[in-house]
Amino acid sequence: MSGLPRVSLVRLSMLAAAAMVVASWAFVLGWDRQQGTAFFSTETARRILGFIGDLAGQGLAREPAYSELSEWSRTARLAYDTLTMSVLAIMISAIGALATFMLGARNVATHGGPVARGGFLAVRASWAFVRAVPELVWALLAVFVFSPGILPGAAALAIHNYGVLGKLASEVVEGMDMRPIDALRTAGAGRTKALAYGVLPQVLPRFMTYLLYRWEVVIRTTIVVGFVAAGGLGMEFRLAMSNFHYSTVSLLLMWYLILVLGVDIASSQLRRIAR
Amino acid sequence: MVNPSPRPKPRLLESRQLLTLILFAALAWSLLSVEWRNGVLHGGGLRAFGEIGAALFSPDLSLDALAKLLGSVGRTLAYAFAGLSLALVIGFPLGLTASGVLRAPGPMRRLTQGSARLTLAAVRSVHELVWAWLFVAAVGLSPIAAVLALALPYGGILGRVYAELFQDVPEAPLVALRSAGASKLQVFWHGRMPFVLPEFLGYTFYRLECGIRSATVLSFVGLGGLGFEIQIALADLAYGRAWTFILGLVGLILIVEAWSSAIRRRLSP
Repeated sequence: MSGLPRVSLVRLSMLAAAAMVVASWAFVLGWDRQQGTAFFSTETARRILGFIGDLAGQGLAREPAYSELSEWSRTARLAYDTLTMSVLAIMISAIGALATFMLGARNVATHGGPVARGGFLAVRASWAFVRAVPELVWALLAVFVFSPGILPGAAALAIHNYGVLGKLASEVVEGMDMRPIDALRTAGAGRTKALAYGVLPQVLPRFMTYLLYRWEVVIRTTIVVGFVAAGGLGMEFRLAMSNFHYSTVSLLLMWYLILVLGVDIASSQLRRIAR
Repeated sequence: MVNPSPRPKPRLLESRQLLTLILFAALAWSLLSVEWRNGVLHGGGLRAFGEIGAALFSPDLSLDALAKLLGSVGRTLAYAFAGLSLALVIGFPLGLTASGVLRAPGPMRRLTQGSARLTLAAVRSVHELVWAWLFVAAVGLSPIAAVLALALPYGGILGRVYAELFQDVPEAPLVALRSAGASKLQVFWHGRMPFVLPEFLGYTFYRLECGIRSATVLSFVGLGGLGFEIQIALADLAYGRAWTFILGLVGLILIVEAWSSAIRRRLSP
């Protein structure tokens, strides 16, 4: 590979990706043709329209759930739980990432001895592993271990995001301006002081920005994790779907959008402070 | 990678303390909302944890499991590549419209730009699994439902990022093209596009990596694939079999991650 021009990997990858796209569509379309009704048909259009009608609560004997105040107040509790779950998850993952990010930074590890290098490999591997497994899979495992409530879902989200935040924080350390730290060390500051006055002031603002960005992702995923872990809007969404209570599904989707929008706004306001 | 930010003004220091305070308050609030009375672990939680942990070192390596693993990896990849290609088709025109670079400033641009931004934000705010579930409920189990479910939120994310890329192009070469008589579209293709291409490709490949992770989750609604197999194995309490698929997923993700980061390293100047 080394003899070839640098751009060739990119060219090759684009060709490979294009071939994969063609093969994937051929596979997906071929598979679809084996199903009872083809996806691209008037039947699909009719079903989608019917489903939108169901969501709107057409043909119900009573009022659709989203137009009843009692239903809103019943589900408010679930929305609150979902919000709590997302905050708990992001906070636990932040604590985990803050405890390990120095170990996982390449430039720090190469300065240290064999212990630091071993720690670097272990921490990096743990991040890569927990990051590669999606939140929902962690949730499937967490329900076997944690007592029901918001904990299993929060734990699942926290495990995955610990890997994400740890990696992001260590990348900030790797791209850090070393001059203030060198200046501190020359002035006689020990490791702890160099960390407190040289590293953290550079890393923390950036870390908080990432934390808030990840919170936006977490709130979108919280409902998904709730499908399998008891608690929050996700569980109720699953129940409503299984019982064909589609107007309740609409109500839960409305809460979901309110939470997503609210967290996006809160996060961008807080990011402005962090900057 | 990251340049140090310029020295903060003294006023900002205070607001950072405020942020720290808010974060600590949020942590305290979320910890207080957990019902600790029920205990952290449930009845057989510790035993289950031990069994799950032990099973990690004895995954099910039977021929049947490995054949299923190979098949579901194939399906997962098919969802991801088909979904991402459709996301590109959705995200590129919407992102271009949302960036507003093809129109002169005015009420028409505000209208098209605003509606494109709103569309992108709307499809983006709903998680792909929620989309998948809604599609399956509406039209039944079809692999195209999974592809669409992936393509909508990913199209929304790609569109937003593309719009930002198109806007962040230095003006000088564009002015040169314009004064040479190039049309708006020509300025875009020969001025903006070459400039953003490395980042454009790099980000798209990064999203492909995320798309493969998401595609596993999509199959939970019953569409076959890695997530589906993990769910079935765990329902049978066959932890070893579940780890086979989880480890297969981790391997797949790590390979794609290495691929995509190699591409991004070459693309970055």
